[in-house]
Amino acid sequence: MSGPRYLEDFEIGACERFGCYPVSEDEVVEFARRYDPQPFHVDRAAAERSHFGGLIVSGWHTAAMYIRMINDHGATRHALAGLGFDDMRWPRPTRPGDLLSVESTVKATSPLQSRADRGIVTFATRILNQRLEAVMTFDMLVLFPRRPRA
Amino acid sequence: MPRATGGRMKYFEDFRLGEVSVLGPLVVDEAEVLEYGRKYDPQPFHTDKAAAAQSHFGGLIASGWHTCAMQMRLMVEEMTRDQVAGMGSPGLESCRWLKPVRLGDRLTCRTEVIDARPSASKPYGILKRRFELSNQDGEVVMRLVGLGLVAKRPEARA
Repeated sequence: MSGPRYLEDFEIGACERFGCYPVSEDEVVEFARRYDPQPFHVDRAAAERSHFGGLIVSGWHTAAMYIRMINDHGATRHALAGLGFDDMRWPRPTRPGDLLSVESTVKATSPLQSRADRGIVTFATRILNQRLEAVMTFDMLVLFPRRPRA
Repeated sequence: MPRATGGRMKYFEDFRLGEVSVLGPLVVDEAEVLEYGRKYDPQPFHTDKAAAAQSHFGGLIASGWHTCAMQMRLMVEEMTRDQVAGMGSPGLESCRWLKPVRLGDRLTCRTEVIDARPSASKPYGILKRRFELSNQDGEVVMRLVGLGLVAKRPEARA
């Protein structure tokens, strides 16, 4: 498979949509019991009484499903490392039964000052539900190699 | 360090600007790193010990997203310990994975309240906190700035 390999291959504004992750209630509760055991993530009855009106997915579980879709898409193949992210928001809850996908747009590319052979690509990222409403948005920062000089 | 006293809930008004607390420790478990890696972030340095040893990381490391999840577990432990009236989170300002997190690492988290604003119209306030997750050698492995909603005292709600 081809696709961007070096920093120089990424075009600002290039946008991709991919992935299809069905959110199952069992997985939501299992993840949250281990990592985020707040009542509105693990206890259906308590969640129904909360201001969320039902079980919602831990934001970190939505993030986990995102990175799975990224892997399945092959988008990690040429990356050297994920560096982190900025401006993460969960504008509306993710719920069991939702079907998630990823929309990723190249926002910036910047060569590293400290390492001439590497650079950072910023991906404006939106996780969408089946109604194409954003449930999570952030700017993802990924380290890529620069194209070797001929 | 804040402590709930006499079973009292900790509300938004009970947080002070500059308040510091220390969470943890948490020991990074091999089976859990592999399970998270295989299920959500199947790159060789998260899922395969032999391949990881040959990678530029020189051994298995936790997915950064798994580290975020582990950090969340520490936060929920704090919320339970201090009986914080948490109402979820709208998001984070930033997160950086600064050093690899490795099997057996013993992580502690230092948090500091850097901003606290009551909502004018809602029954909660918004806390902005900085979190620094460090390993047993004192190296900061992850730094993040997150937002949390905490209920106002019952008598302060409109």
